[in-house]
Amino acid sequence: MSSGASAWPQSALPESLRTEPVLLGAVTPASLDDQVLAHVERRPPRAWFVAFSVAAAAMLAGMALIGYTIATGIGVWGNNIPVSWAFDIINFVFWVGIGHAGTLISAILLLFRARWRNAISRFSEAMTIFAVMCAGLFPLIHVGRPWLAFWLFPYPNQRAIWPNFRSPLIWDVFAVSTYFSVSLMFWYLGLLPDLASLRDRTGSKIRKFVYSVLSMGWRGSAAHWRHYEKAYLVIAGLATGLVLSVHSVVSFDFAVSLVPGWHMTIFPPYFVTGAIFAGFAMVVIVLVVVRSTMRLENLITMYHLDVMNKVILACSCLMGYAYLMEGFTAWYSMNAYIHHTFRQYVAGSYWWAGWATIACNILIPQLLWVRRFRRSYFVMIFVALAVTVGMWFERFVIIVISLHQDFLPSAWALYKPTVVDVGILVGSFGMFFTLVLLFARVLPVIATTEMKMVLPGSQPHRGGATHE
Amino acid sequence: MTGGLVRKALAAGILAGAAGLGGTILWSGWERFWINWIVWFLFLLTVGLGCLFIVALEHVVGAKWSVPLRRVPERLSGLVLLVSPAMVPALASLPVLYSWARPEGLTDPVVAAKAGWLNVPFFAARAAGCILLWFIAHRILVRGSIRQDADRDARFNMRARRFAPVFMVIFGVTITLVAFDWISSLAPAWYSDVFGIYVFAGTFLAGLAATTLGVLYLTARQRLPGVRADHLYNLGGFLFAFTVFWSYIGFAQYMLMWYANLPEEVFWYRDRLEGSWGVLLLVLAAVHFLVPFFVLIPRAAKGDPRKLLWVAGLMLLAHWLDLYWMIFPAIGRGPLLGWPELSFALFFVCTALAWIGRAMRVGADMPVGDPFLREGLEFRL
Amino acid sequence: MNERVFSVLGIFDGAQQLVDAVPVVKTRVSGRLEAYTPYPVHGIEDLLGLRKSPVAGMVLVMGVIGALAALAFELWASGIDYPIVTAGKPVLSWEAFVPIMFEVMVLFACFTAGLGMLLLLNRLPMFRHPMLRSRAMALITRDKFALAVESEGAPLDVDAVAAALRAAGARMVEVVELPEPAGPASPRFFARFAGAVAVACLIAGTLVYWGVKLFPVTVPVVHMLDQPRLDAQRASLWFRDGFGMRMPAAGTVARGHMPYRVERAEDAALLVNPLPRSAAVLRRGRSLYATYCSVCHGILGDGVPTLTAAYGARPANLVSPQITGYPDGLLYHAVAAGKNAMPSYAADLTEDERWAVIHYVRALQRALNARDSDLPQEVAK
Repeated sequence: MSSGASAWPQSALPESLRTEPVLLGAVTPASLDDQVLAHVERRPPRAWFVAFSVAAAAMLAGMALIGYTIATGIGVWGNNIPVSWAFDIINFVFWVGIGHAGTLISAILLLFRARWRNAISRFSEAMTIFAVMCAGLFPLIHVGRPWLAFWLFPYPNQRAIWPNFRSPLIWDVFAVSTYFSVSLMFWYLGLLPDLASLRDRTGSKIRKFVYSVLSMGWRGSAAHWRHYEKAYLVIAGLATGLVLSVHSVVSFDFAVSLVPGWHMTIFPPYFVTGAIFAGFAMVVIVLVVVRSTMRLENLITMYHLDVMNKVILACSCLMGYAYLMEGFTAWYSMNAYIHHTFRQYVAGSYWWAGWATIACNILIPQLLWVRRFRRSYFVMIFVALAVTVGMWFERFVIIVISLHQDFLPSAWALYKPTVVDVGILVGSFGMFFTLVLLFARVLPVIATTEMKMVLPGSQPHRGGATHE
Repeated sequence: MTGGLVRKALAAGILAGAAGLGGTILWSGWERFWINWIVWFLFLLTVGLGCLFIVALEHVVGAKWSVPLRRVPERLSGLVLLVSPAMVPALASLPVLYSWARPEGLTDPVVAAKAGWLNVPFFAARAAGCILLWFIAHRILVRGSIRQDADRDARFNMRARRFAPVFMVIFGVTITLVAFDWISSLAPAWYSDVFGIYVFAGTFLAGLAATTLGVLYLTARQRLPGVRADHLYNLGGFLFAFTVFWSYIGFAQYMLMWYANLPEEVFWYRDRLEGSWGVLLLVLAAVHFLVPFFVLIPRAAKGDPRKLLWVAGLMLLAHWLDLYWMIFPAIGRGPLLGWPELSFALFFVCTALAWIGRAMRVGADMPVGDPFLREGLEFRL
Repeated sequence: MNERVFSVLGIFDGAQQLVDAVPVVKTRVSGRLEAYTPYPVHGIEDLLGLRKSPVAGMVLVMGVIGALAALAFELWASGIDYPIVTAGKPVLSWEAFVPIMFEVMVLFACFTAGLGMLLLLNRLPMFRHPMLRSRAMALITRDKFALAVESEGAPLDVDAVAAALRAAGARMVEVVELPEPAGPASPRFFARFAGAVAVACLIAGTLVYWGVKLFPVTVPVVHMLDQPRLDAQRASLWFRDGFGMRMPAAGTVARGHMPYRVERAEDAALLVNPLPRSAAVLRRGRSLYATYCSVCHGILGDGVPTLTAAYGARPANLVSPQITGYPDGLLYHAVAAGKNAMPSYAADLTEDERWAVIHYVRALQRALNARDSDLPQEVAK
């Protein structure tokens, strides 16, 4: 008993302070299984096939262009001196960034015990894996001889040399492969109990065999759950470290160099914030589509979207701070090269990219201060699309504008992307959405087991009520 | 120790410290005096600001578990009110310590080019603006919370939830200004755009550590009934996580400057790695990262009051050491620990404790008027 | 039937009912208790007497091992085995090795947690557990909770256990039997297995063989091998005649050789020997004469050849009075442009070499035309 404090009934609180439910309607573990797992067991609707065809077509076009690039050479891209890194690295950073939101939702929010995370963690973690797969394409194809990519790994060889461990590009290899394998394992571990549910529900012999193998014979034993929960929590904690470190290592690609506009110490936290920003925008877009087409509005509620939009708004403000710091420090440094580069960002040949970045990343998301807008499909999709475009352009600004006019004026030149560049970018989006669509029909999009844990009355009374 | 004895001891400490300060001016010189003043007023300022940030963060996120604990950082944030006036005499330190405030400092063309920003009037105006904003924020967030004890009006929560995000913006800008103006401009040619975030990380940790110590002090005296190991565990978790964050930012800034090796950036580190300063940096890395990290890894340790007491105390010391390592080399001598440093410590610590003691007599030990207090007390992991 | 019973299950509707039932059943039956739930139920581990999970300790140890192993490897590979200086940094630059060290630490730790948990601690995958064949399994993964009393070798009193479970509130009771023991593997099984391995090896071997053979000649890998460039001693379609090897263009001059442009011997007579008549030059001339000239002109220069007599040639007698009277330039012209049957030796001897030979020929002429005055005084008497 505390010093005379008593719980206020919800009705006594003003509306904006009332706890919003994380679930709508009467949801039981059985109804959860029936609602969510049914999508895996039924044939997809026609709209799915249409969407899949479009995405797969884009992906195949992209793959064809990648094949053309590898067969012919990097010359079919717009990369040249001085802009030797362009769409390839922009797309890599873009996709790796998008992956970070998923890990934040499934790992960091688990550590904070935010109950609202359970409905969206499976989907976002899947998006992380697909985004990292799309990202991993680009370092592979942008080297001149992709079939020698295994040289990046340290193995004893007859050349008697090792990779350059001091290079941030090798740090990237380790960071992104670690991120991919850890995310894959984390996602798979979360899937195990749901796969067991699918195994026990299905009538088809083939499906039962496949699910049995994939679920590893999971039987829900309390002894197993004990080790499982501990391992899941520990991996979540480690994945949190990955969220910070992976995009920081990606930012080191630029920040360790001397290129004006690249060597800014704020890059690591700035890139991580940008990654979460872009990732949450993508998650919002996909979740809006998922919740309406798969009729999961009672599980993925407006509250979820509201909170995610608040995170997007917070990240937008942090990005604003980062841009302010970059601009101020660029002036404060009194370095003529940095001054020139920053003038180029807003008033040079690519001034439209600089202003697009500022408008899409800082200005448009400010709409989300208004509660009604945070809960409106139209506004939130508009803001999320703007953020996606804005974050892509931010990498464009950092990479192309800094490179096209750096130290040696005789090397200054404009960069023009080719059809192949754009086609591969479109193809990567196609690959991402193809994988997302496949995932939505093959595996449960909501982690039913985790959801069952946060239903009211799911735990015995001794444990207590609130988990916030 | 009874209350009266403590008050007399603190008063004695303040007087002795003040005498020591006078002695510093007479026998060690203004340089030594002002550099210590800067270190100490920034230390207390950042502890207070860190606590104010914690309060605002709780309102932004709408966390319920922390409601029973919130009065502790609210009271500790009063340090901002105590220390902000200390900024005013610190303006007298500008010509002594900051080369850009001296006419001969402008012979360096890089510094002269920045004179539009680095000049005494604008500097003073910025400092005054920061102080004003902090006072306003304190009034809205802390005075409002204390008033809620009596009138139990839930509208305070709504006002706080609306103001807190605005305060985040204010905080971000002002802590960056503090970092750039008071610490970074001691070497006016140097620049690092993550420096504001670095000082923020240290500030937040200092606030967390101070809050933890306050919570442990009150729970030991049964003044926070209902606060359990579950609440302490969350505090320990935050201490752990942000220790990692501070180390990450500190290492990133260092590694990037080391890697590029540009003379205009690296001289700052060279001054702080030579000889004994390098040894001090190793000590800093140990007490600010290694020890807290490894002590707080086990789940049980994060909720253990004894371990938290040691780690939080160590973290406050580490934050002071961080500021000392950043600021003190500006006078061009090795790490010094003599009578001046001891008297400053005595003076400022006793003044701060006396001020905090005064703050503890205002309002209840928990925000009893908050509608979410009960939910916060019922929190279990 | 009793010996084949693996466990007796009681199915409960909710977590609360399960947790309430455990102490009731524990007092009434012997045998190991195990619970099966659709999600982890907090508090049940302690009721069942399960030990704490060692995952965290395993992860800490493997994480530290991973970090140290990665750092040690990087330092060894880049600093000791093949030290490379990158960007002017010292070879044992730990700062640059931290990112990979961190990532490898996370990798080791996460895989220890995931795979250790699955394979070591939970012993999964396991497809033959009796529970997987029970009817209750489908209920458990959906929404029901089961308490199982497992026989640890000693057969269970099924009825008593079932009664205890019902008394504790179970809606349903199921007896789970052990599966039919799998017989020893039959010879047919081994034959099939061996056959499958053989087929797999055959396929894999064929694929690898043809893969490795064809991979370097597929586009684009073949572009390294098959470059549009000129290779030595190969045909080339760039030239009309198909020859890759070309003659030098007219007027090409080899290094160290200046073309000899004098056409008439009379003009050559004016040339002067630029080399001094030193012992070194004469030695050089002697060895060159032996190589190039003695085959025709004889080792003594007297026109008695070692070789060409068989071919009917009549080389000049270099020590004859006529040739002794020639100026040096005429001799040089004979070497450089040829004379009568003697071909030009311009391609075989550089200018200096030709002049050295001429010095030696002069020495031969002097030696084979000795005079009495050449003898020493004593012998002359």
